Amino acid sequence: MALRFEILGRFNRARAAQLTLPHFVCQTPLFMPVGTQGTIKGLATNQLEEIGCQIILGNTYHLALRPTSELIDELGGLHKFMNWPRALLTDSGGFQMVSLLHLADITEKGVTFQSPVDGKPMLLTPEESIQIQSRIGADIIMALDDVVRTTITGPRIEEAMYRTLRWIDRCIAAHKRPHEQNLFGIVQGGLDPVLRDICVKGLVDRNLPGYAIGGLAGGEDKDSFWRVVAQCTAALPEDKPRYVMGVGYPLDIVVCSALGADMYDCVYPTRTARFGTALVPEGVLKLKHRAMADDIRPIDPTCECMVCKNYTRAYIHCLVTKDAMGSQLLSYHNLYYMMKLSRDLNSSIIQGQFPEFVCKFLQKMFPKGDVPEWVCNAMEVAGIDISSCCAPFTTSQD
Amino acid sequence: MNWPRALLTDSGGFQMVSLLHLADITEKGVTFQSPVDGKPMLLTPEESIQIQSRIGADIIMALDDVVRTTITGPRIEEAMYRTLRWIDRCIAAHKRPHEQNLFGIVQGGLDPVLRDICVKGLVDRNLPGYAIGGLAGGEDKDSFWRVVAQCTAALPEDKPRYVMGVGYPLDIVVCSALGADMYDCVYPTRTARFGTALVPEGVLKLKHRAMADDIRPIDPTCECMVCKNYTRAYIHCLVTKDAMGSQLLSYHNLYYMMKLSRDLNSSIIQGQFPEFVCKFLQKMFPKGDVPEWVCNAMEVAGIDISSCCAPFTTSQD
Repeated sequence: MALRFEILGRFNRARAAQLTLPHFVCQTPLFMPVGTQGTIKGLATNQLEEIGCQIILGNTYHLALRPTSELIDELGGLHKFMNWPRALLTDSGGFQMVSLLHLADITEKGVTFQSPVDGKPMLLTPEESIQIQSRIGADIIMALDDVVRTTITGPRIEEAMYRTLRWIDRCIAAHKRPHEQNLFGIVQGGLDPVLRDICVKGLVDRNLPGYAIGGLAGGEDKDSFWRVVAQCTAALPEDKPRYVMGVGYPLDIVVCSALGADMYDCVYPTRTARFGTALVPEGVLKLKHRAMADDIRPIDPTCECMVCKNYTRAYIHCLVTKDAMGSQLLSYHNLYYMMKLSRDLNSSIIQGQFPEFVCKFLQKMFPKGDVPEWVCNAMEVAGIDISSCCAPFTTSQD
Repeated sequence: MNWPRALLTDSGGFQMVSLLHLADITEKGVTFQSPVDGKPMLLTPEESIQIQSRIGADIIMALDDVVRTTITGPRIEEAMYRTLRWIDRCIAAHKRPHEQNLFGIVQGGLDPVLRDICVKGLVDRNLPGYAIGGLAGGEDKDSFWRVVAQCTAALPEDKPRYVMGVGYPLDIVVCSALGADMYDCVYPTRTARFGTALVPEGVLKLKHRAMADDIRPIDPTCECMVCKNYTRAYIHCLVTKDAMGSQLLSYHNLYYMMKLSRDLNSSIIQGQFPEFVCKFLQKMFPKGDVPEWVCNAMEVAGIDISSCCAPFTTSQD
């Protein structure tokens, strides 16, 4: 175990905590930008520090291809290679393979796939994934799991859940640096509460430093999504971090935090920036829209980031989709937004102001009070009264 | 664009001629097909000045009739005289002389007679500054420096001289030795996007496989944010595959150019200019194989670079 997790504030299920990792002391809830291949697209590491980023995610699959984990190891690990002094988390590589590769297949041995470099058949085993992640050197490493999309039904889900449990033991056995890297297990089981429960218990038995809730954020309906998160956060140990993989939208992060999750990652803020979309308290702002062409306001007048303090919507409109600088500026703003959201979640919980924060958040996003039903249901389970920001029910519901 | 320092805009003429398929120059101005809807359009000296007036830069450029130096024949003379006729139209159209400085551009190809006529014509108009145009377009270096030398010798001492489209660090050092003051070029940022860094030795190609495990910074002597924080290995990993590679290289390359500018300025002020030039050439040509055109130009500039030139061999540049 190479971390300390200290809860500093609560509101019902929501927690604000200090997560001490080998490279950095983090405050949760927190969002991790995804730096796929040794860089966050559009931001240099000094800018990431500027906006208050604490921990970023690297994709093992991409890094193993380029520049290879052996080279990263030879050059002193990913922190040094990409000049990121704070915390890093790497995923196992499994998900990218399944989602990106045409002929990836999962067997008991591991994930078999065609090398995208030369087409040769290759195999990523739990042992290999841990070894690659060991060379990369992140503070948190993820177990190789058998992940299936929640939109799938049938026996495959149960098979994947049990395999995930068998693989966690192989991951643990292969993990040679437990005092420098924290191996998180990933709860699978689709949308089935029985399977999810078995998986949680199995992983908790292994007494891991932290736990992720996987297999979500893949197209399932929001009602199923929050219920799985709620079930898992209720069953996972109090005193260990909980990481909902692939989340996401600011609204989803607020809801999951209310339900007791601590960590999140998603490509959304930076990817949507590259499509010209900014994150704002009201939701999103599409800078490509012709109305932006002569709008001299900043993206978000309430935002304190370098972009909002220096550039107008009109200027960014002029750049988006035509000049990389447009994407850069929007990426910067969007990540700043996510970092601020993280800070606000943490501080509002610590200051005993969490319900007020949630209400303000929802009011800005749903000024007509049309908060989606799934959010209302989740907040009810979380014990947070948001009636002040919900209009009385009408027949048109989300 | 949130840029609080100085701006210079060009006239628009050059891009039209170089980018547009059916651009044509007449006495009226540059006729071209609008790239938006294909309609025939016309950029006149008056229109160019008006557009530049709205943009609001500190320095604006006259619309000139520019021909590439690789062309020969009567077109060059025609263009030079037209440039002089157009400068008067630019001056007449210039409504903000107390906020914007209209620079004239010397044309005339590689012909010293034409260049001389153009310089005299522009100097007569008593403009705030002068550019040397029509170069940096593929002419041989020997012709290039000679045109710059002639123009800087003939232009007024007390006004800035801007060599348009230059360029390579070596060219900037030579032109500065000959008396030029200002330069512009897409080269540093464009070459960055191809994975090439500017270094004292010349260039460093970050795409080269030798960079893959090279843990040195791009330039160990460089103080920029990129060289202080990133290795060649890391940038190699990014170049041509991730925009961050281009960003970091662009940053370094522009830092390099800004430092070159500062070094030129300070070495001249401190009476150390020949020493600076020699050091610069020694790093770039450690075997002493300084190109002949540079040697010739430095001779005219009165700068002794014999200490960094190997004795002549038969293989000359």
